[in-house]
Amino acid sequence: MRISSSLIGLRVLEVVLGGLFFYAGLQKVLHVHEFAEAVLAYQLLPESLVGLAVAGLPWLEVAAGFCLVVGLKRRSCLLLLTGLVAVFLIVIFITMARGLNIDCGCGLFFQRQVGWAAVLEDAVLLIWASGLYWWELLRAGKGGLESIVQAAT
Amino acid sequence: MNRVWRHDLAWAGFILGAAVLFGLVQQWPLARQAWQGEIAPLLAQARNQRRAEQFQGVKTVNLAQAYALFQQGCLFIDARPADEFNELHIPKSRNITPDMVEAAMAGKVAALARDREIVVYCGQVSCDLALTVAEKLQSLGFTRVTAFVGGFRAWDEAGYPADTGK
Repeated sequence: MRISSSLIGLRVLEVVLGGLFFYAGLQKVLHVHEFAEAVLAYQLLPESLVGLAVAGLPWLEVAAGFCLVVGLKRRSCLLLLTGLVAVFLIVIFITMARGLNIDCGCGLFFQRQVGWAAVLEDAVLLIWASGLYWWELLRAGKGGLESIVQAAT
Repeated sequence: MNRVWRHDLAWAGFILGAAVLFGLVQQWPLARQAWQGEIAPLLAQARNQRRAEQFQGVKTVNLAQAYALFQQGCLFIDARPADEFNELHIPKSRNITPDMVEAAMAGKVAALARDREIVVYCGQVSCDLALTVAEKLQSLGFTRVTAFVGGFRAWDEAGYPADTGK
């Protein structure tokens, strides 16, 4: 069976994206109190809902990232990550409009402030995740609807 | 395609629900205290514990002590990024971020007397920049460095003098 180079490219991009979110989520799980402070600093959620966001978001990143890396329900994971990044992009714009100079609490390799660099970073992730979802849809479309449902189950 | 989309969305919803549920179980004490509106004391306690381990040996001052030191003419160092410093800062303070100390910015750090009384501050109580800079200065041989952990927000809210420009 010949594996096309485009399929390898697709999987590499998915594994890297999934790995990034898995790592970012794991960091938040391990440093949950710092993440809670970052979420509070946005002053967007009522305190009662901060706990829900702090408990759920990191595991969402971990779960979606892990499933994407191992190739489980890839399109659903890409959909989740696209939605997550899109919401965060809106949150960043609101925060910038309010003039808050706060840590973005994004995780990964270094601390960074909410600002245009964070917007650019999220825009890249948004294009990356949504582009891969579109690519997966096109791939699935070539095989017909039955194979799509088979592949998805 | 519509069927595929619905299928993807259903699984996305399942993963979302499972992750949130698992997270709630794993972080139940935090989620419960947040729900009851008591997350601030929990975070403050966790922050203090972490700092006690991470910044051992760095002395701290409160707002009243910081103001007394300001009136005595101590050198204040603002550890925040330059744009925040330029917006508003404690009068006569110098902007020295952790990166600047790391890069041993000769002009700003090396010229200072090692026994000079220095107070380092950053944005607010949750930021670690002041403690980071204070620790770095101590490792460079500065003997009288303290961190004002309340930060510029506490200073400003108390109505103490603030300045713009460099």
